[in-house]
Amino acid sequence: MQSSKNNSMKWRYLKQHVFFGIVRASALIITLTLGGIIFYIVYNGIGAISWDFITKPPTHSMTQGGIMPAILGTIYLTVGAIAIGLPLGIASAIYLTEYAKQGRVIRFLKVGINCLAGVPSVVFGLFGLGFFVIFLKFGSSILSGSLTLGFLILPTIIGASEEALKSVPQTFREASLSLGVSKWQTTYRIVLPNAMPGILTGSILGIGRAAGETAPIMFTAAAYFTAKLPGSIFDEVMALPYHIYVLATAGTNIEATRPIQFGTVLVLVAVVLGIDLIAIIIRSYMRRNKRW
Amino acid sequence: MESNTIIKLKDVNFYYGQSRALTDISMTFGKNKVTALIGPSGCGKSTLLRLLNRMNDLIDGTRVEGEILFEEKNIYAPDVDPVEIRRKIGMVFQKPNPFPKTIYNNIAYGPKLTGVNAGDLDTLVEQSLKQSVLWDEVKDVLNKSAMNLSGGQQQRLCIARALAMKPDVLLMDEPTSALDPISTAKIEELIEELKKDYTIIIVTHNMQQAARISDETAFFYIGNLIEYNKTEKIFTKPEVKQTEDYITGRFG
Repeated sequence: MQSSKNNSMKWRYLKQHVFFGIVRASALIITLTLGGIIFYIVYNGIGAISWDFITKPPTHSMTQGGIMPAILGTIYLTVGAIAIGLPLGIASAIYLTEYAKQGRVIRFLKVGINCLAGVPSVVFGLFGLGFFVIFLKFGSSILSGSLTLGFLILPTIIGASEEALKSVPQTFREASLSLGVSKWQTTYRIVLPNAMPGILTGSILGIGRAAGETAPIMFTAAAYFTAKLPGSIFDEVMALPYHIYVLATAGTNIEATRPIQFGTVLVLVAVVLGIDLIAIIIRSYMRRNKRW
Repeated sequence: MESNTIIKLKDVNFYYGQSRALTDISMTFGKNKVTALIGPSGCGKSTLLRLLNRMNDLIDGTRVEGEILFEEKNIYAPDVDPVEIRRKIGMVFQKPNPFPKTIYNNIAYGPKLTGVNAGDLDTLVEQSLKQSVLWDEVKDVLNKSAMNLSGGQQQRLCIARALAMKPDVLLMDEPTSALDPISTAKIEELIEELKKDYTIIIVTHNMQQAARISDETAFFYIGNLIEYNKTEKIFTKPEVKQTEDYITGRFG
C-alpha cells in the first residue's frame, strides 16, 4: 500500500519534470530562434550602417548611397496607417462591446472581422489599388498606402480593443451610470481611459505589421526609386520593405547590394522597434495610477 | 398617495428573458425612512433595488411590467430618461467600486460631468466626505489614488460620491457584506445619520443589521413580497410563517 503510494508520487514528479522540461525547451527554442534572426541581421547589416546611409538618398542606380527616402516613407506610411486604423478600430470596438445589442448580427460581424484578419495582404493591396488609387483617384501616394495599411491592421486593432474594453470591470460602468452620468460620458471618461493601455498593447502588433508589409504598398504607395522627398500626402514615397524587395529581386546588381540589403533590413527592424517603443512609453505613462 | 411616500410600486413584474424574477410586487417606500429588503439569495431583492434606478436596463433581455412611481411619476414611462432618474436616485454597491482616480476626482466626477451641483467643487467634496464621515481620514490625501484606501474607507468614499449628486433616495445593495465588523459599524452609524436627509433603501443578508438600522422591513421569497411591515413588528411578531422561519434561521 505504502509503496504503491510512493510509486504514484514518483510517477507524478516524473510527469511534472517532463512537462516542465517541454515548456522550458519551447521557451528556449523561441528565444534562440529570435536571437538567431536578430544576430544574423545585425551581423550582416551593421557594416552598411553609417550616418550617410541613414541620411542620404541612394545613388548609382541604388547600388551605393543611403536609404533616407525609404526610412522617411516607411515612417510616413506607418504613422498614416495608425492615424487611420487606431481611431476607426477603437470606435468599432466601442460600438461592438459597449453599444451593440449582442446577438446574431453582432456575432456575424465579429466573424467577418476575424476573417478579415486572415485575408492575405496582397488582397488588401489590390483592394487599395482598385478603390483608393483608381476609383477615388488618390493615385499611388502616401494617402492610398496609409489607407490600405490602416485597413490591413484594422482587425488587429479591433480585436485588441475589444478585449481591452471587456477587461474593464463592469462595476466601473455601473458606478458611473448610477451617478446619472450618460453612457457616452461613461465610455469616454471611465471605460476608454482604463482600456487604453490594453488597446495600445494589441495595437503594437498592428503597428509592426503596417511598417513591415510589402504587398499592400507595392501597388498603392511605394516608388521603385525617387530621390525627391514627398511634398504632400498625394506623393509617392520609397518604403523600406519594398526597397528591400526591389534590391533583393530586381536591383541592377543584386550581389553587389547585399550589404545595403542587410543594412536596410536592420534599419527597418530598428524603425519598427522605435515606433513600438513610443507606444510602450505612452502606455506606461497611461498605466500610472491604474490599478484594480 | 400619502404625502410621505416617495416611491410606489404598482403590480410590478420583472423578467430575465423568459424567467420571472419578481411577481406582482406592490409596495410603497416612505420618505426619509430606512427600508430594509431581506430574503434568501435569489429572492429578487437586489433585482427590485436595481429596478428603482433603472440599472436593470443595462442587462439585455429584461422586461418590466407595471408601474414604479417616483414622486408620482412613472420612471418606466417612455418619455423618461433613465440618466435623469439616476441623478435623483443614487446607488451604493455590494463591493466598494471607487474609480481608479484620486479621492477628490472620485467625488467631483459626477457633479462635473452632469453639471449638477458643479458650482463650488472644493466645498462639495469636503461636504460630501464629511457627510460620509471620511473627511478626517482623507483630508490630507485628497490627491492620492482612491485605490490606496481600505475597503471600509472605499465604501464610505462611494457613499460620499453618491451623496455629491445630492440625490433624494440612496439605494444600498448589501453595502457592508464585503467589510469587516468595525467598518460595518461605521457604515451603520452613517446610515442612521443620513436618514435625516435621505430616503434609504437597503438590501441586506444580515438580519441583525436590518433590525438595527431600518424603520421598515420587507421580506421577499422567490420573487414574491411575503411580508412588509414596521421592522419592530417583523422581528418580534411576524404575521406570516415563512417570515418567522426565515428570521429565526430555520431556512435561507
